[in-house]
Amino acid sequence: MPTLGQFLSQAFNGLAFGSLLALISSGLTIILGTLGVLNFAHGAMFMLGAYTAYIILSHFGSYAAALFGGALALFIVGIITERVLIRRYYDRPPQDQILVTFGLGIMLVEATRYGFGGLSQRVPLPSWGHGIVNFGYFFYPMYRVEVIAIVAVILIIFYLLLYRTSMGLIVRAGIEDPMMVGLLGIHLRRVFMIVFSLGAVAAGIAGVIYAPLSSVIPDMGEPFLVQSFVVVVIGGLGSFPGAVVGGIVVGEMLSLTTMFNPAYAQAAIYAAMTLVLIVRPRGLFGAHGRM
Amino acid sequence: MKSSSLARWMPEIIVAVALVVLPLVFGANSLDLLTRILLWGLFGLGFSLLFGFGGLLSFGQAAFYGTGGFVTAYLLTGNVIGNVWLSIVIGVGAAALFSVAVGVLALRRVGIYFAMITLAFGELSYFLENSPLSHFTGGENGLPGIPAPSLQLGSFKYVFTGSWPSYELIAALFFVGYVLARFIIQSPVGNVLIGINQNPGRTAALGHHVPGYKLAAFVLAGAYAGLAGALLGIFQSYMPPSAFALDTSGQLVIQTVIGGAEILLGPTIGAAIWLSLRDFLQQVPVLGDLWKFILGFAFVLLVTLLRRGMGGELYALWLRKRPSGLMPATAAAHERLTPAEVVELLQPLTAPEDGALALDVQSVSKSYGGIHANSDVTFKVPAGALYAVIGPNGAGKSTFLRMLAGEEHPDSGSIRVNGVERTATDVTAAAQNGVAKSFQINQLFPHLTVRQNLRLGASGHYRGRIRFDIFRRADSIAAVEKLVDALLDELDLTQHADVAVDTLAYGEKRRLELGLALSSRPSLLLLDEPLAGLSPAEREDVKQLIKNIRRGRTIVLVEHDMDAVFELAERIMVMHDGNRLTEGDPGTIQKDSQVQQAYLGGIDF
Amino acid sequence: MSMIELDKVNSYYGDSHILFDVSMEVREKEVVALLGRNGAGKSTTLKTLAGVLHPRSGAIRLAGEPIHSLPTYEIARRGLQLVPDERRIFGSLTVAENLKVASLTATDPWPIRRIYDMFPRLEERKESRGGNLSGGEQQMLAIARALIRDPRVILLDEPFEGLAPVIVRDILDVCRRLVQEGPTVIIVEQNLRAALSLAHRVYVLNNGHMVFTGTPDELKANPDVTSRYIGI
Repeated sequence: MPTLGQFLSQAFNGLAFGSLLALISSGLTIILGTLGVLNFAHGAMFMLGAYTAYIILSHFGSYAAALFGGALALFIVGIITERVLIRRYYDRPPQDQILVTFGLGIMLVEATRYGFGGLSQRVPLPSWGHGIVNFGYFFYPMYRVEVIAIVAVILIIFYLLLYRTSMGLIVRAGIEDPMMVGLLGIHLRRVFMIVFSLGAVAAGIAGVIYAPLSSVIPDMGEPFLVQSFVVVVIGGLGSFPGAVVGGIVVGEMLSLTTMFNPAYAQAAIYAAMTLVLIVRPRGLFGAHGRM
Repeated sequence: MKSSSLARWMPEIIVAVALVVLPLVFGANSLDLLTRILLWGLFGLGFSLLFGFGGLLSFGQAAFYGTGGFVTAYLLTGNVIGNVWLSIVIGVGAAALFSVAVGVLALRRVGIYFAMITLAFGELSYFLENSPLSHFTGGENGLPGIPAPSLQLGSFKYVFTGSWPSYELIAALFFVGYVLARFIIQSPVGNVLIGINQNPGRTAALGHHVPGYKLAAFVLAGAYAGLAGALLGIFQSYMPPSAFALDTSGQLVIQTVIGGAEILLGPTIGAAIWLSLRDFLQQVPVLGDLWKFILGFAFVLLVTLLRRGMGGELYALWLRKRPSGLMPATAAAHERLTPAEVVELLQPLTAPEDGALALDVQSVSKSYGGIHANSDVTFKVPAGALYAVIGPNGAGKSTFLRMLAGEEHPDSGSIRVNGVERTATDVTAAAQNGVAKSFQINQLFPHLTVRQNLRLGASGHYRGRIRFDIFRRADSIAAVEKLVDALLDELDLTQHADVAVDTLAYGEKRRLELGLALSSRPSLLLLDEPLAGLSPAEREDVKQLIKNIRRGRTIVLVEHDMDAVFELAERIMVMHDGNRLTEGDPGTIQKDSQVQQAYLGGIDF
Repeated sequence: MSMIELDKVNSYYGDSHILFDVSMEVREKEVVALLGRNGAGKSTTLKTLAGVLHPRSGAIRLAGEPIHSLPTYEIARRGLQLVPDERRIFGSLTVAENLKVASLTATDPWPIRRIYDMFPRLEERKESRGGNLSGGEQQMLAIARALIRDPRVILLDEPFEGLAPVIVRDILDVCRRLVQEGPTVIIVEQNLRAALSLAHRVYVLNNGHMVFTGTPDELKANPDVTSRYIGI
């Protein structure tokens, strides 16, 4: 039976991991809801963010520069991908979009493997990330607390973008009724490029933040891809609140079940996904009949 | 006919010859590659059924590949069962069982959602292999030391160990798998799968149990995957954990798309291309490590430019000359039907007694949120009559008709068809019970011929909700073929019988739409705006068609063309604002001031 | 001056031929009612004007300029606004947000104050989500969304459908005020009395063919037109 300190420590882990998952899944769900595209390359974009952090931190040592650089790099990748590739697929069946983003994901991962090799890279913690925090019942790594804070700030920015800007208004209206948006004089597809890029940026920033916590390898994005699918199914396709709540729920589930039986942690989240599919197929926050 | 039966077996013959000839041509050094290609090809035969024909893109097939492989490997290496053949059978059985469980959950959704769920289950099984079940699976080490199978014939024992025997075993099993898949595709089951791919709603409305067929396709794919996995372990004498990886599911998808999903050999062709290129590129000095990037890039290019994959594009070219493709197009030549025979064949399968009520609707209500689409509507239609339901926009006619067809259920009230309670029916049961609807917007199978469309409809009742008659050809049910001929004659579409539907003119499509509803030989036929979008001449044709098919049948007609309504209907029910306003014969309705008010606006301004 | 001109337009829904050589003309600031039974092609005509459907042949001109091959957003930007028959309120956005998104690409949008003066009920409900509004309120919002864009032309597709008689009266008042504001209006309605009370002129469609045009008085003087093509 774990102690209170162990329990709280794991709960924090769940929050840290869950918030990263929430960020990644927000990007995925916005792309899915607005463009109708399931971005199989999302995990690869997360990975690119981590490698960008590795490059920038190796040369400049500035964490802020890494965050900014990661965001910028993925923004550019997103713009290029949408313009060159995704754009051709809006009128094609959804399965084709899955295939092409899947292929793109392979390309990104393999190109990275070629450039950096398959060995894992270490990304150092930022100077203000060292040390531990004393929470009374338990000690907790400083950086992980900061992760929660940083992700919270970024999610708030995304929230503001989505709910307090005209662009966000267009996106939310477009998720619901693309035709009506056109009837109101708005060229929705021009917005798609920005939305796709912002989704990619979300994954990339998550990669930058995660990089110091684990080894940076070309295949690191794959587990996050799958877990973000589970989050989006639980939270509801196309729902930003669903992605955030779902991400934290999944993160906590993984973390807390690990405490009792590590072998079954993953099974727990798939069981949750199965339950949602049976009881409430549209997800916690999903809209009826979207998919 | 002799020549056509040889044509029917051509693909199997070619494949058999290729299996024998190819290793001889390419030499003993190619055996390993050829065997691996065939393993992926076997894996892909099932996947082609699921994805290419059924339209269901699963990203989790590795779950069943791995299950078949590891169950078989465990039974053999753990000395639980000594017989290799038996272990393979159990392994395949385990894979099939697992696919039932996953299929029941995943098939609740379609498209993107379905892909996501299958991917998640694939990953779940990878995790289960790696951790909780590692005692049985060897965790990240896998299971080595799998013995080779052997055949004992009297005193002669043949052990399948070594390059040639392994190839022989796998080639033989591949061939068996291929022949079975060919049977399935050409059977009524395969036709239904293709129908589900092109128009699942209509397939269900023709009396086929769509969820059952989808699950069957999913389980078949799982079984093929399981067999391929089991053989992989035996071939390598080692079962790798990577069998469960997303990479494996992904490679299957890529190979299938490259080769062409819509042909059974597509995955095999794709595997040949992928694996050969991989071997080749890895030898090239500079590019060596980039092989996967190059192949990934080629894949992206292919999906963008060549929609149907290499094999698929070639097949599509061939199809242009023969639109019916692999599906049986024309049955053997038979005599023309006499008009009397046509009438006889089109009679409803069940008919109520004279004087009985064909349709008895009591006080049905239906609300959506706060909107009362139908409130307490009562409607009775005697056998053999043609009644119409009219009313202004928003009157609730479509909702009413949908409830009669089984597409929706009333919140309260009852619907009896031929005296039997049918309130909670669904469209498939409705079709099996003699109720069919013709849709306002054409719901056809666009890439099939007219004959194939009608065959899908006509076979619904003869085969029942679901049947796994995979060993008969889709055109081999004489009763169905005769009915199709009768329908073609009645619809005046005989000269278009073997062209693809999407090349027909609108008026012809509309007739086919009616024909599909008729093909289940319903005793109660619901017509939803059958004249929608037709020119004046076409209207006359369809009106005459409706009069012709009235014999012995009860019809409920929803229409806005008032001339047609007054011409065809014996009695008319007028709906307004979800209520039944009034009912009467055409003359009375036309003069009814209440009805006029409803249409023109009942308020004083 | 002709604000709207349809010149022998043939429109299809998929491959179903709905409009056959339909010609229509609406002058500036005119209110025209498009009448006919269901399936006659009234809604299709409005959708073709707004760019939701593209005609296979024929021409459509807005203030003299051809618009028949333009996308919907471009036509909306040129001042032609469709209020669709399903209303299509953004249920997940508030009333205020629905109005805001409508005003984004308008060159000279109405000040929100003017909208709320005209639709006080919407001001009361301005923070409510669109999905929580009643049918009548949704219709008001749909019309307000069109008006805030200060359009030259408004197309109303069955504005009274599915509304209780009391609400129809309210919406009719709204329409009268709308008409006074000056845009050119084409209204599609099955409710003949409501349509005639607003219109300067009527067009009657039957099975995709234009069969009659005239003033409401002229229509009343031809009862056989009404009985043959409208109502029963």
